[in-house]
Amino acid sequence: MTTTESTDSSSSRTSGSGGEISGAEIRLEGVTKRYPGQKTAAVDGLSLTIPAGEIVMFVGPSGFGKTTSLKMINRLIEPSSGKITIGDQDVRKQSADELRRHVGYVIQGGSLFPHMTVAKNIAIVPKLLGWDAKRIDKRVEELLDLVNLDPGKYRDRYPRELSGGQQQRVGVARGLAADPPVILMDEPFGAVDPITRQRLQDELLSIQRSLGKTIVCVTHDIDEAIKLGDRILILQEGAQVAQYDAPATLLADPANDFVSDFVGSGSSLKQLTLSRVSEIDIHPATTGRVGEPAREAIERARSAGDDSLVILDSRDRPTAWVWLRQVQGETLHEGDRETLTTLDERATLNDALDTMLTSSHSAAIVTGDNDRYVGIVDFGAVVDHMRAIQNEAQDRESSKVTAESDPEDHHDENAPMDDSGSADE
Amino acid sequence: MWQFIEDRRAQILINAFNHAYLVVLAIVIATVIAVLLAMVITRMPRLEPVANAISAVGLTIPSFALIGLLLPVTGLGATTALIAVTFYAALPILRNAVVGLAGVDANLLESARGLGMSELSSMFRIRLPLAWPVILAGIRVSMQMSMGIAAIAAYVLGPGLGVSIFVGLAQIGGKNAVNYALVGTLGIVIIALLLDLLLLALGRLTTSKGIRV
Amino acid sequence: MSDLIPAAIKDRLAGDSEKTRAMGESILLALGVPLMVVLGFGAYAIWHETADLDSVEASALGWAEVWQAIGEHVQLTVVSAAVVVVIAVPLGILLTRPGFKRAAPAVVGFANAGQAAPSIGLIVLLAMWLGPGFKTTIVALTVYGLLPVLRNTITGLQGVNPTLVEAGRGVGLSNFDVLRRIELPLALPVIMAGVRTALVLLVGTAALATFINGGGLGGIITAGISLYRYSVMVSGAVLVALLALLVEWLGRVLELLTRPKGI
Repeated sequence: MTTTESTDSSSSRTSGSGGEISGAEIRLEGVTKRYPGQKTAAVDGLSLTIPAGEIVMFVGPSGFGKTTSLKMINRLIEPSSGKITIGDQDVRKQSADELRRHVGYVIQGGSLFPHMTVAKNIAIVPKLLGWDAKRIDKRVEELLDLVNLDPGKYRDRYPRELSGGQQQRVGVARGLAADPPVILMDEPFGAVDPITRQRLQDELLSIQRSLGKTIVCVTHDIDEAIKLGDRILILQEGAQVAQYDAPATLLADPANDFVSDFVGSGSSLKQLTLSRVSEIDIHPATTGRVGEPAREAIERARSAGDDSLVILDSRDRPTAWVWLRQVQGETLHEGDRETLTTLDERATLNDALDTMLTSSHSAAIVTGDNDRYVGIVDFGAVVDHMRAIQNEAQDRESSKVTAESDPEDHHDENAPMDDSGSADE
Repeated sequence: MWQFIEDRRAQILINAFNHAYLVVLAIVIATVIAVLLAMVITRMPRLEPVANAISAVGLTIPSFALIGLLLPVTGLGATTALIAVTFYAALPILRNAVVGLAGVDANLLESARGLGMSELSSMFRIRLPLAWPVILAGIRVSMQMSMGIAAIAAYVLGPGLGVSIFVGLAQIGGKNAVNYALVGTLGIVIIALLLDLLLLALGRLTTSKGIRV
Repeated sequence: MSDLIPAAIKDRLAGDSEKTRAMGESILLALGVPLMVVLGFGAYAIWHETADLDSVEASALGWAEVWQAIGEHVQLTVVSAAVVVVIAVPLGILLTRPGFKRAAPAVVGFANAGQAAPSIGLIVLLAMWLGPGFKTTIVALTVYGLLPVLRNTITGLQGVNPTLVEAGRGVGLSNFDVLRRIELPLALPVIMAGVRTALVLLVGTAALATFINGGGLGGIITAGISLYRYSVMVSGAVLVALLALLVEWLGRVLELLTRPKGI
């Protein structure tokens, strides 16, 4: 087992921030899956520990066993040998159906049942567990709110009336419905456009902050893995562990050629995806509340030197971002939250640049827990930060080179001296 | 002809009702049998070509022949009529049920299992409801077919408007022969239409709004 | 049976598993059916020779009578099938030609409605109008068998890739040539499937011909019923069933034979 402690604090999630850990630890011990008639095993002796409350991403090229490994955790595929425990309990102890009711399962596209309403879809597992109707109703409302879908509007809609992103959100809500300690996701954000994907990723991070579940997520997108994962498991053929580390370590110290090729490490631009928005200067902008007299808000903005205004609703969530000259009427109006592009604090700089390019302000609103307004981040700040990282990386490179030319004196704390670390780039 | 109908109104209505009742009963029984069989076949896909072959062969056998085969066993009367109609009604429904159940998106079924639904639960709450529109299409075809077969069965003393047709036939050349035959035939056409509309309405009611085309 | 299943579902099943499924079904039927028919007829013949028939039964089931009935039945089926094809295919072609396309739904709808009428009712009414006998039976059977062939002709022709037609015109083929050498060959499989469906329908409906003096194997069944002899009833029924299976099988063979190479 390679459970390296991540040294880069910016990419580890201290699950205490915001919420407690409600996840459970998952352990795979020597898990193997061999299909009859095939010479090589699909998964061969996979052992790893997924710590409670963390997001672990399974990444690797297609066919290398990531989905198979995932599906063995909830026994959709039964292992040929080996043991899997969730929270210290062997998954084979209970019936497969019973197990799955306590493990969330979210797949690409949401896979909502088309003949059931959104509410009915979400209510499936609670109903299977025998919750009473009132409790279920309340839970459905809670969850729709959590995934940013207005319960009043959406609970009675049918899946075909929703957009791809909305369907995926309902899929996540459904996975969370029975409040399971573990959630399995299989390419959950693959079926939507990049902008929606970014929002969904941000929302997942936000949800995780308050819930602290153990999430195992399969993806083929290394950028997504780096953004979302506390740890990343890179799989080679036969689900062989190439490396299992925090994202920063993965980029800085790839274990072999396969990993470095896959991760694209050495590219300092990739490091961009590591930096979080929260590390850049977020400065406050003038805000106003829905229903507040417009004049006062405009005065406040003018005196602060701002030419735009962020309008918040009663829960401190930004609903609109208007230029002062656009403000009409006596009071501030609520905008459409769903069309307003925002950035989560935990979003990467990659996302920040994408967002700014589509906004008319060349800056972006940053939100924190539950979509609450935090501040504004602008283009200049991002560029400054990027430059700083680049300089850092270049310094690191040159110090490595000098270290190599003096083999006796310098015991490098980085990965052992093989070709992969230094020669490329 | 109108006077003819007026005079025999009661009898005609009774025959019409019997005809409809026979067909509806046969369809209900046929649906239950066919859907159950289809569920079994869905679990064992190897059986599918066999089921389809049996279905094709079954529909090839002329209804009059089947009736002839049943006679020694079940004699003249309503029982034979019911069995014959049910047999033929089951075949299109079976074929459609198998296709419909097989056509449900595998991802959805996996999701259902992934959420913790048992196989049985998934069959009844996901697979069947989603296959229902296809099954219903089969039921509609079955129903139209059954109308004609029920009429033929009147020859062996089955109930319904076929009786009227055969009475007309027996009296061929006589004063009211054409009326009898016409009333029988048109009556069946009308009932077929009514029942079809009812099935359509039933379909709309029982098909979830989420999958209605 | 293809008309029973909505097109959307059929598309879904397209793919390898559907092909193997269809193949399995075809093989079963291609081999199983003639085997059944031969065995069935053999069994019947054996029974006929060895059974102890009383005088009534013997006269009703004499081989001469049986062969005559079979002959009549076959005649009814073949003649009406020919008439159906002669009417329905040209009509179908006509309804897919540019000027007449609008009429297609109405005509097909009308034919559809005709199917809703019970076969026995139609036969009896026609006999009352045109007098009983062979000719009237042919008319009745034709009306009944028209729809499958008409519908399939239209569907088959509509299903031909328009770019191919265009290519044909582009090469200099006349309208008639395009029809003859491109559209019809490509539409043939679908049309033949319709013919096969019609054949089954005709064989089955011909069993009712006896009611209006049209002859056929139905007569043996009715004889059995009026004579109250089970053996005769069942004989008639079995013979009709066997004939129907044979006709269906021949239809499939025909379908396979006329499938243009390369499709």
